[in-house]
Amino acid sequence: MDMFLQTLVSGLLIGGLYAIIGIGMTLIMGVLGIINLAHGQILMVAMYITWILWQSFGIDPYLGMFITVPIVFYFGQFLAKYLLHPLIEKDSILPENQVLMTVGIGMVLVELARSIFSSDYRSVQTGYTDVVWHLGKISLSMPIVIDFFLAMLLTLGLFWLLMRTDLGRAIRATAQDKEAATLMGISAKKITILTFGLGSALTAAAGSLFLPIYYLYPDVGPLFTLKAFVITILGGLGSTVGAIAGGLVLGIAETFGATYFSMGYRDAVGLVIFLVVLIFFPGGLKRFTKV
Amino acid sequence: MLSLFIHITNKKGKNMKPIKILLIAILTGVLVFGISSCSKKTEGPVKVGVVLPLTGSKANFGEMEKNSYELALKKINADRKAKGQNPIEFVYEDDTGKPDVGRAAAEKLINVNKVKMLAGGYSSSVTFAAAAVAQQYRVPFLVNTGSVDKITQPEDFNLTTNDGDKFYIYRLNPPVSEYASGLEGLLATKVKPKSVFIIHENTAFGTKGAKAFQKSADKLGIKVLGVESYSGGTVDFKPLLSNAKKVKPDMMYMISYVMDAAMLMKQSREIGLMPKLFVGAGAGYTMPAFKENAGVASRNVVSATLWHQSLPIEGAKDYFDNYIKTYGGDGPDYHGAEAYSAAMVVDNVLARCKDNYDAETIKKALDATDMMTPFGPVKFTAYGKKIHQNRMQTYVVQWIDGALKLVWPEDLANAKFVFPIDWKKVWAD
Amino acid sequence: MADKQIKKEKFINKTEWIIILSAIVLPFLFSFSPYVQGLLIFVMIWVVLGSSWNLLAGFTGLVSFGHAAYFGIGAYAAGLLFLHFKISPWWGLLLGGPVAVIVGYLLGIMVFRLRGPYFALGTLASAEILRIIFGEEEWLTNGHNGILYITTWVTKYPYYFIALALALGAVFSVKAVMRAKAGFYFLSIREDEDAAQALGIDTQRYKNIATVISTFWAGTAGAFYMIYMGFIDPEVVFSLHNISIITILVGIIGGVGTIWGPAVGAVIMVLVQEIFRSALFGLAPAWVSRLHALAFGLLVIFVILYLAGGVVGDWDLIRKKFGLTKKAETAE
Repeated sequence: MDMFLQTLVSGLLIGGLYAIIGIGMTLIMGVLGIINLAHGQILMVAMYITWILWQSFGIDPYLGMFITVPIVFYFGQFLAKYLLHPLIEKDSILPENQVLMTVGIGMVLVELARSIFSSDYRSVQTGYTDVVWHLGKISLSMPIVIDFFLAMLLTLGLFWLLMRTDLGRAIRATAQDKEAATLMGISAKKITILTFGLGSALTAAAGSLFLPIYYLYPDVGPLFTLKAFVITILGGLGSTVGAIAGGLVLGIAETFGATYFSMGYRDAVGLVIFLVVLIFFPGGLKRFTKV
Repeated sequence: MLSLFIHITNKKGKNMKPIKILLIAILTGVLVFGISSCSKKTEGPVKVGVVLPLTGSKANFGEMEKNSYELALKKINADRKAKGQNPIEFVYEDDTGKPDVGRAAAEKLINVNKVKMLAGGYSSSVTFAAAAVAQQYRVPFLVNTGSVDKITQPEDFNLTTNDGDKFYIYRLNPPVSEYASGLEGLLATKVKPKSVFIIHENTAFGTKGAKAFQKSADKLGIKVLGVESYSGGTVDFKPLLSNAKKVKPDMMYMISYVMDAAMLMKQSREIGLMPKLFVGAGAGYTMPAFKENAGVASRNVVSATLWHQSLPIEGAKDYFDNYIKTYGGDGPDYHGAEAYSAAMVVDNVLARCKDNYDAETIKKALDATDMMTPFGPVKFTAYGKKIHQNRMQTYVVQWIDGALKLVWPEDLANAKFVFPIDWKKVWAD
Repeated sequence: MADKQIKKEKFINKTEWIIILSAIVLPFLFSFSPYVQGLLIFVMIWVVLGSSWNLLAGFTGLVSFGHAAYFGIGAYAAGLLFLHFKISPWWGLLLGGPVAVIVGYLLGIMVFRLRGPYFALGTLASAEILRIIFGEEEWLTNGHNGILYITTWVTKYPYYFIALALALGAVFSVKAVMRAKAGFYFLSIREDEDAAQALGIDTQRYKNIATVISTFWAGTAGAFYMIYMGFIDPEVVFSLHNISIITILVGIIGGVGTIWGPAVGAVIMVLVQEIFRSALFGLAPAWVSRLHALAFGLLVIFVILYLAGGVVGDWDLIRKKFGLTKKAETAE
């Protein structure tokens, strides 16, 4: 029973982190209609920025997040404005050109990181990195708990943005029906660029949150890109609530799979769920949440 | 010739044009590579190829080994100059930690750089793949770290143990199945664990190491409660560790590279997994980066090792101090010592070739090797299924007060083995 | 109207003959350097993979992000034969294609229901799952230890000519099928699947035909890789980045939906990577060699931004921009 609870709690906590990576991806997918294969690389960039802030200026990663996130927000907008958006107007044989552009962006980001920082592993050591709390027989690592609550706060903030502001309504409208939104006077270009920035910013937040509990190297990205896909499909394209649920489900499924089945298949658990949902339940959890 | 092709293609219709590019591209290739390949005939230093992971996830180790090769080379070439011998040049090729790249690297060193022999070889799978190339081209290969057993087993190369004269692979370091031999003594006399839980990375090095330790455990009467594998770069090891915690093993035996090692120990501490002893199988657990990243959780972790600077081997301490003086940091672990000593063996072997550097002469010189290095005595022998294998003792180290101390065998130890360990106290702060 | 134009031409036109002949001569020009010959063999492997992907994605509109699945299955078909039965992997060269077709068909049952980004993600996930399974099931595949085979010859010539034959086979089979009626159905599926179906085209059947040809060549390329390299492990042959993605990029750079595009893309890809990897053949400082992947990434961004049709597809555009003066010289 203890083990069951411990597994559940671990899965839930890590799932909260997965969720914000997933929301970033699902926003981009919903509005731009593309899979962003550079998602993990953007997370990597954010981790490096946070790491530099800690290493050179002694800024705590959780505080550094408030610097990292805006930087990556503008960086994401820049990518969307100059590299992704121009492709919409170009005609080409494959609609997937934007996806491939993200592949190119990802490659360049990884290699730039490698040339600047080399392939060495980096990690952040803070006073609280090693603090462990005990709750009955369950043990909790302090940074992961902080991460989880910050992730939830961010998600709530995003919700407020999407539901209560004009910008949010515009984003949701564009995701639902681009043409109709344009007719209503929304600039699709502006929204596309903003959304990519927003998605990148969320991922950046996830990167800053991951830094105290994980480590960093140029190739760290793809691991998270794959998770983001699974969450997006699980939650339903473009659905934020779905992505939160998807993140939590993935976190829990992975830890249970690893505990009770086999650690080696840990990453496969997510992918299998992904294929099953993709094929048998297209639309994912969105069906139930409708948001 | 170029203009001729263009002329012909130009006569054709408009839709032919794309194909012209292909031709031009190929022809440019011909010219460019032609020029580059012709300008590579120089006499001078004796070239030895070194295959190491200089980028990628194993770059930490590769860098330490490359530094050690360079450190040795400085000394070697100074000596050689004094004696009027040809200097040696190490040609490094990055295998990026991937077997296919390792193969290509070995091939390039042999074909393009025309090296007389190969050295290096870090990851087991990469080394094995590169060894196959060396064997095929009949170029002697002195392996210094790749540890999976089959590297020096001729049967895995379609040969038998009697085919020593056809087998070009030699190995300085002991195979992974013998890494824990030194540890066995410690376990049998001091720790006397009743049960063990094994965690290993799902690579050749990890799986073979786990199998080998299971055999040791059987011999010592230790019950194996579980064997679990994981893939490198895992974020959350808690499921694995919870499984271990549930069965309450007396000791944990872990085979991992450096960052996974740090994550494993940090998360063991987090969930309060407290066996009598945590034992690492070398690799990640002896690296300075392990201590830095695991922090508090690295305390009192024990590891098998092949070398320690405090061993009473001539040159060991000198090498260690010299390394710190040149490159700074916490100093090398056994990987660096292996590389440094491999460079010395290469020098010794080539010196005995007397300016005749064909493969067979080098091979004979390797066969006759019997020398002392900072890593220990080196002599290539045959036993069991292996040939051309250097046999040596292994040791046990422990992280005590932030430093890696030799604790076993007792007569060589430079610190007292900390045991039993009260983890609650050790892990506090 | 386009079909008449194509039918009039001979199946192998004059320029193509020149390419074939020069490809045959090429390795002899480099007889002094097995290293360059090795690069040429890699070009050929990428031609096969690129053409295979191009038929599915460029001509039929099924953009696969998991071509490594078929490549890996082909490689393991040859490898497992050797591992378990000590049968020469050369038989695998015959077997790799068909086995990949079967697996491709089974995967197809699942992923062909999907469209657009879902299809891309479905293929990507299936290759990743195969990678994990082949890594974990040690009893079957020897897991992460991989399969090692001492290659048959040291000389590169036989490998080169086999690879060349495969490359030509792949390119011309694509050309043949695109000249046949099936080719037009492929294009109609790419342009608008629903419309094609409404016109009475059995889209499922033609998607399957495209898949069979495509997976056959990808699997054969995998089997050849096993024979030539002599070493495979799941991380190598099922690699998302090194196989699936690079395959797509070869197609994109050369020209999606063109017969010779993947061939041009393969040449450019290997050339760019190798020029940087060798630091301009040792002329530039060593750090340049670390930029090979960066250069390739920038090339990809450039091509997508400015040459959406790839080098072959946008050849006219390139000529206009760079070749005008040259054209004036040669023509007038």
